[in-house]
Amino acid sequence: MLKDVLSAQKTSFEAGMHTELRGQVNRQRRVVLLSGNVTSNVRSDVSGVSARVYRNGTYGFSSMAELSEEAAQRVLHAAADNAVFMDTHVPAGKPALPVLPSGRYAVQEDIHDLAQKVYFDFLKGLDEYIAKHCPELISRVTVASEDSMEKLLVTSDGMDGHTILPRSYCYVIMTAQTPAGVPVERFRAFGGEGTFDLNFTDPAALYEDVDRLYEELMQKRDGVYADAGRKTVILGGMMTGMLSHEAVGHTVEADLVLGGSVAGPCLNKRVASEKVTLTDFANEAFGKRCPLPVFVDDEGTRAEDVTLIRDGILVGYMNNRESAEHFGMKAAGNARAWSFSDEPLIRMRNTAVHPGTDKLEDMIASIDDGYYLIDSGNGQADTTGEFMFGVTMGYEIKHGKLGRALLDTTISGVAFEMLKTVDMVGDTLVWASSGVCGKKQPMPVGMGGPALRCQVTIGGR
Amino acid sequence: MDNMMKLADFILAEAKSLGADYCQCTVSESEKREFNVDGGRFSLMRTLFDRGVNVTVLKGQRKGTVHINRFDEDAVRAAVADSVAASESAEPDPAWQFAEGPVDESYTDGAPECDTEALFARTKELMADVTSRHPKILMEQMITEHDANRAVYKNSQGVTYRTVSGAYHFSLMYSAHEGDKGSSFYGSEVTLATLDKPVIDCALIERELSAVEKQIETQPLVGKFVGTAVMAPMALLETVVTTILGNFVSDMSLIDGTSIWKDKLGEQVADPRLTITFDPRAKHVVSGQHYTGEGYPAHGYDLIREGRLTSFALSQYGANKTGGKRAACSSWEGSIAAGEKTLDEIISGVEHGVLVMRFSGGEPAASGEFSGVAKNGFLIENGKITCALSETMISACVPDMLNNIRDISCDVLQDGSLSVPYIAFDGITISGQ
Repeated sequence: MLKDVLSAQKTSFEAGMHTELRGQVNRQRRVVLLSGNVTSNVRSDVSGVSARVYRNGTYGFSSMAELSEEAAQRVLHAAADNAVFMDTHVPAGKPALPVLPSGRYAVQEDIHDLAQKVYFDFLKGLDEYIAKHCPELISRVTVASEDSMEKLLVTSDGMDGHTILPRSYCYVIMTAQTPAGVPVERFRAFGGEGTFDLNFTDPAALYEDVDRLYEELMQKRDGVYADAGRKTVILGGMMTGMLSHEAVGHTVEADLVLGGSVAGPCLNKRVASEKVTLTDFANEAFGKRCPLPVFVDDEGTRAEDVTLIRDGILVGYMNNRESAEHFGMKAAGNARAWSFSDEPLIRMRNTAVHPGTDKLEDMIASIDDGYYLIDSGNGQADTTGEFMFGVTMGYEIKHGKLGRALLDTTISGVAFEMLKTVDMVGDTLVWASSGVCGKKQPMPVGMGGPALRCQVTIGGR
Repeated sequence: MDNMMKLADFILAEAKSLGADYCQCTVSESEKREFNVDGGRFSLMRTLFDRGVNVTVLKGQRKGTVHINRFDEDAVRAAVADSVAASESAEPDPAWQFAEGPVDESYTDGAPECDTEALFARTKELMADVTSRHPKILMEQMITEHDANRAVYKNSQGVTYRTVSGAYHFSLMYSAHEGDKGSSFYGSEVTLATLDKPVIDCALIERELSAVEKQIETQPLVGKFVGTAVMAPMALLETVVTTILGNFVSDMSLIDGTSIWKDKLGEQVADPRLTITFDPRAKHVVSGQHYTGEGYPAHGYDLIREGRLTSFALSQYGANKTGGKRAACSSWEGSIAAGEKTLDEIISGVEHGVLVMRFSGGEPAASGEFSGVAKNGFLIENGKITCALSETMISACVPDMLNNIRDISCDVLQDGSLSVPYIAFDGITISGQ
């Protein structure tokens, strides 16, 4: 674990200015097998210290690739100088931020730093199984990946903290050919919070999932193009998670609201059907630990849940300390930084639509002509709420029954319009956490939700 | 630079002592100075000091790589030991191959020293210019920065490079607003070696700001038709170029055999007017690549010349795995050859289509098929832009698009890294509600 060389520096924080001092190490481990060839075998450890100082409405920040008392002193001075530069050149004339309750949150257990051989041996076992049991593949990629953020946080006011957030995943990408010789793919990530040895002990534990992925690929190989246009669809839980994060979550990040997002004029207005409630969970949801729990953020705010949409009404934004003051809301621990050299930004944690009461089979049976869209490769949205998700697995629904598999397609819509069309909400919550959100810095996030019946525009031929 | 060279020598010696057959390392130091504007107001100034040590070893044809950002001897010694241990866990692969010397080169690029006051003055001026010329624009975020880097690359086969480089970078994210109505966001970027003119007049920033101001009032497209898509440089990169690089010509797709162009080298794959060149030494590139990740000197080459596939973008490893030839560089800094018509002339010849400034789409399939939202788009009818669009999707197949080029513009985006025109493609499926 990181040695605390920062707490003693608190005495040199400048009076009257909110100051954060953060030491951090980001560890990444990665092995990639491309059809059995080791194309990547990499370990990375990046560490250092940073300071951020708030002065009259603007911030100064500085970082160094060294975690020591001397480096801490240097970045504190440089950050203060930068804050003075901003206050002198572009004075904002704002008062000091309200003082936060103090305290300390500290983890007790260190993470296991594993030898590269652990990742490689597991992956080799998994790859050999795929090579043997998936004969129609023209290509297979398997990836073992682990990353972790360990942070020491010392603040002038607010919580101090020592946190560690490790996560690890195995990715499987399979490629086959359609009868016409066109390549088609399926992809899935396995894993979640915790180091690799805790999530993956025996490749055999994934064989059943690999078999299912292969079966889906074989169905997709004989798949059809979606019929382009506006359709009634069921979004699977993974797709709902993407919707929660990309199409709604970003528009209700307070910095993007200040930047002109569609959520600005919509506060306390209906933006979804009454069946939709959306929360950014801090560390526990529906009685269970969240996929990537956050207990204290990088401004020293204790993390709490933020309800964003309640029964279809937009009721809140995600904030940092400064935006919370602006909007008269409460900061709830959304200010997070990726690396030691990054400043905290307003980020989501574990964002999910709440499950409802409908059974998936009833939802499918309710559609005469539409689609069941299960999995997404990527998603993007802009501040108008207009979104696009790639759909990598889905099926036709004809007369209340699942039909043929779909080739890759895309769906789009405008979030606050599309959510008003939600008329059935599934009873099972599905989480995903293997990706990173991109917003100046990367950030691990959890996203989830139940199946939703709604209307979207689908791309195709 | 001397301390970094000593550290590189230490790494090579340490790797050798641990039984590595080959070692290469990059030792670097960097400084960043950055200003941030958020929601239209100055919010943050950052000063960052970083280091980097990358070590790659081969032992018994097994490869391992470690990255750290510390220079102290204990950490570096541990990193070398880690890289050797990582290599020992891998399978042997005779395809790994790296540059052989003697090579000893030094390069200086761009603006290695930051003029912080000048950077701030240009930043403040840019905000003022945007406000006065484009009052409907709200700057969601603007990041202006100077990055300075000094690096030493050295391998155990007698290859050494020293590079000193720096550049100013301006990144703008904005949307237009009037009352409660707003446009989609758009991003403009440019990398500069000097700050000798207002930034708003660089790259296509002024033109892009003007276009976004016209996108507050949009209309959803109704129905579906097959027509012409005029792809602006960013949209072109996000669709055609990304698909070519990701799915057709690079290591992964050629090694695993999923590239549909794997047997097309030397063949016509596109309209004869299309030439795509990668050249990190081109005049428009501010601070380009000097050597590849395998230590080979970087030169320019044509990927597609007059519609013919003249090279793959293979590394030496990829070349050895596929029996192909290593590309002359591994950089994506490059250009698409400009045409003769202006953008306005191209639009005037389009009967029914869309102008797409940005594309938001799913990952293109291995076949080159893709679909997604035409962002910041305009409807073109009878040679004229008639309205800004929302909720409009386009779908197409890149190999088909390359053979359905209607026009290539003489207007180009030059952003310090790329030189890219507008290209109009026929046969695109365009659909709305």
